[in-house]
Amino acid sequence: MKSLLELQDIYLNYKTENSLVEVIKGVNLKINSGENVAVVGKSGSGKTSLIMLIAGLEKVTSGKIIFEDQDISAYSEDELADLRKRKIGIVFQSFYLIPNYTALENVSLVLEINKIENAQKKSAELLDQFGLKDRLNHFPSQLSGGEQQRVAIARSIILSPKLILADEPSGNLDSENSKLIIQLLFKYSKQNNSSLILVTHDQSIAKECDKIIEIKDGKII
Amino acid sequence: MEKLFNFQDFKYAIRDLTRSYKKISTIIFTLFISLFVLSVILSLEYSLKKELNANAKILLGGDFEINTRNEKVDDQYFKKIEKFGIISSTVEFSTMLTNSTRSDAKTFFIRLKAIDQKYPLYGDVQSFPDKALSLLQTTKNSIVVNRKIFETLKLKVNDTVYIKQTPFKVVGYIESVPDLGRALLFGDFAVVSTNSFLNLNINTLGSFINYEYRVKLNNENINFKQEVENLTKNYPSYSVRYPENSSNNLKKLIDNFSQFLSLVSISAMLIAGIGIANTLISFINQKNISIAIMKSLGFTTSTIKKIFYFEIFTLLTIISLLAYLLAILSVPIVNAYLVKTLGIAVQSEFIIQNFIKVFLSGFLVVSIFCLPTISAIQQIKPTSLFRNVFQPCEFYFTKKNISLIILAIISLILLFAFDSKKPFYTIMYFLVFFIICLTLYGLSKLIIFYLRKINFIKFLPLRLAVKNITNPKTIFPITVLSLGLGVTLLLSLTLIGYNFKKEVQKSIPEIAPDYFFVSIQNTEKDEFVKYLKNNDKNAVIETMPIVSATLTKINKKDPLSYIKQNNDSFWVLERDRRISWSNTPPKDNPITEGNWFDANNKSLQISLDAKVAKDLNIKLNDSLTLKIYGREIEGKVTSLRKVDYRDLSINFVMLINPSFAANIPHEYIATAKFKNLPDFKEGAFLQKFKNISTIKVSDYLGKVTEIINKIFIAVIIISSIAVIIGLTVISSAVIVQARLSVYQNLIFKILGINSSNLILASIIEFLISFLSIIFIAVIFSIGVSYFVIEAIFKLNWSLEIINSSFVLLFIGTVTIILILLNNYKFLSPKVYPLVRNE
Ligand SMILES: Nc1ncnc2c1ncn2[C@@H]1O[C@H](COP(=O)(O)OP(=O)(O)O)[C@@H](O)[C@H]1O
Ligand SMILES: [Mg+2]
Repeated sequence: MKSLLELQDIYLNYKTENSLVEVIKGVNLKINSGENVAVVGKSGSGKTSLIMLIAGLEKVTSGKIIFEDQDISAYSEDELADLRKRKIGIVFQSFYLIPNYTALENVSLVLEINKIENAQKKSAELLDQFGLKDRLNHFPSQLSGGEQQRVAIARSIILSPKLILADEPSGNLDSENSKLIIQLLFKYSKQNNSSLILVTHDQSIAKECDKIIEIKDGKII
Repeated sequence: MEKLFNFQDFKYAIRDLTRSYKKISTIIFTLFISLFVLSVILSLEYSLKKELNANAKILLGGDFEINTRNEKVDDQYFKKIEKFGIISSTVEFSTMLTNSTRSDAKTFFIRLKAIDQKYPLYGDVQSFPDKALSLLQTTKNSIVVNRKIFETLKLKVNDTVYIKQTPFKVVGYIESVPDLGRALLFGDFAVVSTNSFLNLNINTLGSFINYEYRVKLNNENINFKQEVENLTKNYPSYSVRYPENSSNNLKKLIDNFSQFLSLVSISAMLIAGIGIANTLISFINQKNISIAIMKSLGFTTSTIKKIFYFEIFTLLTIISLLAYLLAILSVPIVNAYLVKTLGIAVQSEFIIQNFIKVFLSGFLVVSIFCLPTISAIQQIKPTSLFRNVFQPCEFYFTKKNISLIILAIISLILLFAFDSKKPFYTIMYFLVFFIICLTLYGLSKLIIFYLRKINFIKFLPLRLAVKNITNPKTIFPITVLSLGLGVTLLLSLTLIGYNFKKEVQKSIPEIAPDYFFVSIQNTEKDEFVKYLKNNDKNAVIETMPIVSATLTKINKKDPLSYIKQNNDSFWVLERDRRISWSNTPPKDNPITEGNWFDANNKSLQISLDAKVAKDLNIKLNDSLTLKIYGREIEGKVTSLRKVDYRDLSINFVMLINPSFAANIPHEYIATAKFKNLPDFKEGAFLQKFKNISTIKVSDYLGKVTEIINKIFIAVIIISSIAVIIGLTVISSAVIVQARLSVYQNLIFKILGINSSNLILASIIEFLISFLSIIFIAVIFSIGVSYFVIEAIFKLNWSLEIINSSFVLLFIGTVTIILILLNNYKFLSPKVYPLVRNE
C-alpha cells in the first residue's frame, strides 16, 4: 500500500524562559492511506504534540514530514492552512464548535470554504445520519457534550479528508457516548478511505485499530 | 494572491455581525454619535450657504446694487441705469424714535428705512397687517415699526410715535424684511415711505444718510454686467455689487464656525476610536475560540482578518449612512432656531460629497484604531484547542501597521485641512490634539511605572487600587486618555468662552462711556455740552468733529481694482467712513510709525490705523485720495496708529490734520460718562435736541452679549459630546475589566474582603486617574485658551476658577457614578455558579 504520511526523524523542542524542553525526540512513522492508527501513552508523553506537528499547527525543530510525497515541514503557514482546509480533519477532546454558529453552520462551513455546492443540504444529510436531525439549528451551548462531539466529527469527515486526527475525542464523554463517537469515526473513515490517527487512553479502543503506537518521553517504543 | 473581496468572507462577516452586535454596542453608539454630530455640522453649513446663494438676489435686494458710497446718485447716471430695469431707491438713516414728546418718553435708537413703491424688488416683507407696506405709501406720515418696538411700547394700529418730534401714525409692524441690512440683524428699525422721509426735513449735512439703489433687470438674460461696468467707469467713486458678493461676512462667519465645530466633532470621533480599539480587542478575545477553530479548519490569518475588517467597515457604512440621514432629518429642528435668529430658512438634502466626507472621517478614524487591534488575530494559536489554554491577545504593531496608521492620520488631517479656509489652524489643532494624547498616555505609563515600585501599602483598598492600576490588563491608560481628552476640550472651551464674555462685559463699567451721541450739529455743540453739564456736573464728555470721507485712491490707483473682498480691511473701502481731526494724538491710540501732524503744513495729512495700513499695503508717505463732499483731495500718510476698537471710545480709521480740516463743514459725535446715570432722561434730552441720536452703550452691549451667549451654549453642547463619548468609552472599559475580575472578586469574597473595600478601591483608583487627568487638562486648557484668546483674538486672557472647577467636579462626579454602577453587578458575584463552572 502507498504511504500517505511519513515522519522522518522528527524533533520538537519548546523554548521556555530559561530552559529547553525536548518534547519529541526522533520519531519515525509511516501511515498508509485508509489505515487506522491508535496512539497511546502516558499523559505528558508527547501525543498531542505529535498530532499538532502532523496537522501543521506546530513547526518541527528538525526532521521531515512527508504528506502525499510533499515535504510539508517546509510549507509556509498559509500553505499548511490550505492543506488542512482540503485534506485534514481534526477532532479535539473538548469538541470546540464555533459558539455562535449552529450545528449545521459548523459543518457546512468546511464545505463552503472549499467552494462545494449545496453545502447546507449535504451537511444536513450527514447530521441526520448522525442522529442530529432535530438539532440542526441549535447552537453549541444548546447541545449536550455527546451531541457536540458528533457535530465535531461530522465537521471533520464531511469533506472525506485524506487524514483525520483525533486527540482523545471521547475523553470528556461518558462510556456510552464515547462508544458511539468512536464507532462513527471508524465507520466513516473506512467508508471514505481516510486514514485515522486516534489518540486514546482506552486499550479496548486502541485494539480495534490497524496499528498501535506507544509513545514514551517523546519517542515511539 | 487572494482576492480582495470574497463574497463568502463577506457573508461570514455579516453573519457574525448580526449575531454579536450587542457585544460591540459601544462601538456602534460612539461611532454613531460622533458621525451624527459631524453630519449635522456639515449639512447645516452646506444648507446655510446654499440658502444664502439661492437667496442672494433677495438678500442684495436686486440683480445688482449701485454703491454710491453714501451719496445721492448722479441724475444722469440714474437715467442711464434706468434703461436696464426697475430701480428701487431707498434711504437709511440712524435716528431716535420716541412714544411721546414728553420728557419721560420711551426712546429707541433705530435704523430708519425710507422705501419707495417699488420696494422690495425681490422677496417679501412680512408684516402685520399684510397690507402695512401699501398703507405706508397711501397714508400720510405713516410708519411701520419692528415687532419688538411694537410690543415693548404696547402700540396699537393708528397710535402715534415720534421721530425728531415729528408725529408718525403707526400702521402696523414688521416681522422681517428680505434684504438683511447690517443694522437690521439685531437692531431696532422702522420703515417709512420716501415722501414721509422728505417731510422729516433732515437738515444734517447729508453725511450719514445711506442712499441705496437696487436694480431689477427688465431682461434677465442680457449680458448686462459689461455695460453697467462701462457706465460706472465714469463715476470712480461708484461701484456695483452683484448678488454673489452679498452676505460675504455671514458666509465667512459660517465657514469659521463650522470648521471649528467639525474639528471638535473629529476630536470626539478620535476619542471614540480609543473605545473602538478597546472594545474590539475584547471582542476578539471573546472570539478567540472561534478564531482558533477557523484556523484549525484551514482559514488563513489574513482571511480571518479580512472577515473582521468586513465586519467593522460594514458597520461603519451602515452607521455613517444612518447618522447622515438622521442629521438631514434633524436640520429642520435647527432651522426653526435659525429662522428666528438669522431670518434664514434652510432646507436639508442629501449631498453625496458631505456623506463621503462623513464616511471618510469615520473610515480613517476606524482604520487608525483597528489596524493594531485586528492584527492581534495573528497572536491566536489554534494549538490552544489541544491544550485548552487561551492567552488574551494584545495590540499588535508591525512596521506595515505603523506606516498605515501614520498614513491614515495624515489623510485625516488633509481631509479637514483641504476644504478649510484656514488650513494652518486645522493642522495646528490636530498637532495639539496629538500632543495632548501623547502626554496623557505617557503620564499614565509613568504613574503605572512608579506605582509598581511601591511595595508596602497597609491600607487594603489602596493596595487593591494600586494593584488594579499596575495589573497588566489595566484600563488605566484608556481611562486617562479618553476622559483626559474630553475634559481638556471642554475645559479649554469653557475658558475661551469665559474670557470672551468677560472681555465684552468688562468694557462696560471701566472705559466705556454710558452714551454715544451722534449727529450733533456744529451750531448746537456748545449748548449740548452745557446741557449735559447742567444735568450732571461731573459728567465726562468727549466730543469729536466728524465728516464723512471715502477713500477712493491709494497712490492714485482705485483700490477696488486690486484689493479683494476677503481682505480683512475691505470694510474701509466699501463705503464712506467717518473721519475726524485732533491737535494731539488720542491717548489710547499710540503712534507706531511716523510723527503727529505738522501744524504749519496746511495740505492734507492723514494718520491711519496701522492694521488697516498693513492689510491694504499702505506705507508711510503714501498718497491717499479722500472724497469729501464730492471733492477729491489728495493727502499724505504721515503717521500710523494702533487703534483698539474694542474699548468703545471714539476710534477712527483715519484722522486728518486740523490745519487742513478747519474749514470743512462738520458735525460732532460725543460720548458721555455720567456720575449718576439715572439722572439722565433721554426723553427730556430729545425734547431739546431732536436731531441728536442717543445710543445707550449698555443696551448695545447687552445685545452683543446675548449673541455671544447663544454661540457659547452651542459650542459647549457640541463639545460635551466629546465628554459623553469619553464616558461611554470608560464605561465599556470598566465593564470589560470588571468581567475579567469577577473571578478575582470571588476569591476576595471567599477570603473575606467585603465589597465596601472593593468599592473604596474603585473610588481610589478613579481618583488617581482623575487627579492626573486634571493636572494635564488644566495645563493644556490654560495653554490652548491663552493662545486662542491672546494670539488669535488679541484679547486679554485670565484664568477663571469657579466655572472651570464646576466643569471638572461635574465630570468627575458623573464618571465615578458611572464606574460604580458598571462595577456594581460584578462586585458581589454569586459563589456557586462560578465554582461549578470554574
Ligand atoms: N508550550 C510548551 N512549552 C513547554 N513545554 C510544553 C509546551 N507544550 C507542551 N509542553 C510539554 O510537552 C510535553 C508533552 O505534552 P503533550 O504533547 O501535551 O503530551 P500528551 O498529549 O501526551 O499528554 C509535556 O511534558 C508538556 O509539559
Ligand atoms: Mg494530550
